[in-house]
Amino acid sequence: MPQPTVPRRRVLRGALGAGALALAGPLAACAPGSSSSEPRKLTGTPGASAKGEITIWNRSGDLFKVFDKAIDAFRKAYPNVKVNHQAVDIDAKLANTLITGTDLPDGSFWDDAKIGSQAEHLYDLTDLIAPYREQTSAYKLSVNTVDGRIYGVPWDLDPGLLWYREDLLEDAGVDPAGLKTYDDLLAAARALKEKNSSARPIHMEKDPFLGQLWLEMLANQQGTSLADADGKVRLDSKEYRTILTWIRDAVDDGLVTHGEYLKQADLAALENGQQALVPWAVWWSFAPQQLLKKTKGKWRAAPLPAWTPGGARSGAMGGSSFIIPAKAKNPELAWLLYEFLCFKQPGYTAVYGPSSVYPGGLTTSVPSYTPARRADKPLFQPVAALGGQDLWKVAVDAAATIPAAAPIPAWWTKSVDYLGNNLQRLMEGGMRPDDVIDDSTRKIQRNLVDRA
Amino acid sequence: MTPATLTPVHSERTVPAPPRSRFRRRGPFLTPYVFVAPFYVVFATFGLYPLVYALQLSFTNWKGAGEARFIGLDNYTYLLTSEEFWSSLGNSAVMWLLIVPVQIVGGLAAAVLLANARLRLRGMFRVAFIAPFVTPLVAMAQVWIVAFDKDYGLVNHLLGLVGLPHVDWLASTAWAKPTLALLFLWKTTGFAIIILLAGLQAVPADVYEAAALDGASRQRQFWSLTLPLVRRSIAFLVVVQTLAVFQMFAEPFVVTKGGPYGSTTTGGLYLYNHITASDLGTGAANSFLLVLLVFALSLLSVRLLRSRDE
Repeated sequence: MPQPTVPRRRVLRGALGAGALALAGPLAACAPGSSSSEPRKLTGTPGASAKGEITIWNRSGDLFKVFDKAIDAFRKAYPNVKVNHQAVDIDAKLANTLITGTDLPDGSFWDDAKIGSQAEHLYDLTDLIAPYREQTSAYKLSVNTVDGRIYGVPWDLDPGLLWYREDLLEDAGVDPAGLKTYDDLLAAARALKEKNSSARPIHMEKDPFLGQLWLEMLANQQGTSLADADGKVRLDSKEYRTILTWIRDAVDDGLVTHGEYLKQADLAALENGQQALVPWAVWWSFAPQQLLKKTKGKWRAAPLPAWTPGGARSGAMGGSSFIIPAKAKNPELAWLLYEFLCFKQPGYTAVYGPSSVYPGGLTTSVPSYTPARRADKPLFQPVAALGGQDLWKVAVDAAATIPAAAPIPAWWTKSVDYLGNNLQRLMEGGMRPDDVIDDSTRKIQRNLVDRA
Repeated sequence: MTPATLTPVHSERTVPAPPRSRFRRRGPFLTPYVFVAPFYVVFATFGLYPLVYALQLSFTNWKGAGEARFIGLDNYTYLLTSEEFWSSLGNSAVMWLLIVPVQIVGGLAAAVLLANARLRLRGMFRVAFIAPFVTPLVAMAQVWIVAFDKDYGLVNHLLGLVGLPHVDWLASTAWAKPTLALLFLWKTTGFAIIILLAGLQAVPADVYEAAALDGASRQRQFWSLTLPLVRRSIAFLVVVQTLAVFQMFAEPFVVTKGGPYGSTTTGGLYLYNHITASDLGTGAANSFLLVLLVFALSLLSVRLLRSRDE
């Protein structure tokens, strides 16, 4: 008996239809942009009776250990809050986790430069920070602000300082107190070179990212930054031209060691006297304490020179804050922890003060919160590797002069491909300041701003 | 003669078959589809769906958050007029020139050597050639960073011993590409040797015996027998390595981060950079352009290497 058959074509058509339906569902569900763009605002603050459990992400390494100790202090103050403190590769994981919204922590440490690009996935903390706003570094508030709303709890402030070899400057007859402008710095470098013909006294950074961060420190010192508050590129300005011309002059005069931050060659040049002047953030204090064995005790810190007589003696170089993801399970408790660490005396003392991790205290930054930054109440102790210098006083005095900035645009990190690379070409003598400005502005505008 | 006729036979004894369910009636026809269904489900979920989704993304400006705006072909026109996009393809093309011809010639030479049954320590050589292929790339990339360091690397130390100047292998635009190409060659030539060795061993021994009886020298045998008979293996390798070179990612990512000045930013790394910048629409468009390019190059390679009778 002949079998009743279903036409093959009809089966295939049916299968395709079912496949299309199967695809259409998930596609619609996962279509980009299906979530609301209105930021979530965190306003409530639990009291001392707060209870619950939070997961907090931090970078691994010594800083994690420091925060672990500080979180112990929080646990004593809020015994009913359980804190799961986790060391995570934040750069690799946090942005993806925020976008997908799965396995989110309740709070995380993050670079200021990255917060703006993910503000949509973070709690708006403006109301909670309001009571502390007047007493928080204007620079830190500005870099955590997107469209007038604050998305990060400002943690560390990283003032730029001038690190110098006291012994070499003395030999060359240079008074460190006299290094008041960048012209003075060039003159000091020439004096050092006259004393030692192989010297290339001023460090300039070979890593494009750090190089651009350094450039922004010098720009911040003059009250400007790569983008204005509206996100427009403002590289073509008197301030940037001044910096780039100064760099080129130093390069042309053979006063520059172009090295990669604390890599072996850089360390060797610091130890053998080739480099004696390092304009860099306070976190360079790590080098004499842990890496520079031969010249330990010979380094000192001073405020940066100013670009114009009487101008600001510091600018910020880097920095981090704490964020609370918009989909966090216990955002109020995360805020409670960060409020404790940043704005409460037992909290910031536990972070910066002497601990088993850093017996003299954490010397790589200073707090953003002004009451925590009093020159007469140091949180960390004088540094033996700096000949017993009171680094706290130098750093907090410098930090007080840091001008406010504009919010860091979401495309800042990507701009390193253009400005960071061109800065390297300038430091290698392959580009003129105007070329750096023109080429970088054009490429940043086309590739980043226009496509933001 | 009467023509034979075929008439239906009706028998009273014929019992009609009991009615069958629709499923049972269609069963024999559906069975193969049921068997192949798992593949199509997996393919639709992990192959087709991401592909369609990526295509959809490539026409939007989605940054990983917020609303996705349909922008038509903007991502494609942006890329096709972008210096960086063409520069990344140029970098990949130079890498291809540095890698694929060298690998085919070197791999074939090594395979011919290893196919020789009279070679002593043949097993050891095979392991030595193939070991890098199974070594984790990231670990070897770290070794490369140390070995080719300008100031403290082993390579410059050896150059110094014979009075040659130090070279900035990884930080100069002239040397970074060849240094990465060397890493890629070191890592993947073992794979090329496996493929070519398999091709050589598939050639029947009597072909060579016949050629030898006809008085063909070893050289003549190589050019007239070996090479034409492993042509398909070579074509396969060229296609696979073209794909690999244009999608090369881990080597520049770990060793040079695409620098100096973007001189080692390959097509694969440039694509990745869009993703890390959350520029997912452009990244998706870039991936489709890369697919088209690699497809065209593969087609060209196959046509060029196809024998006349194929």
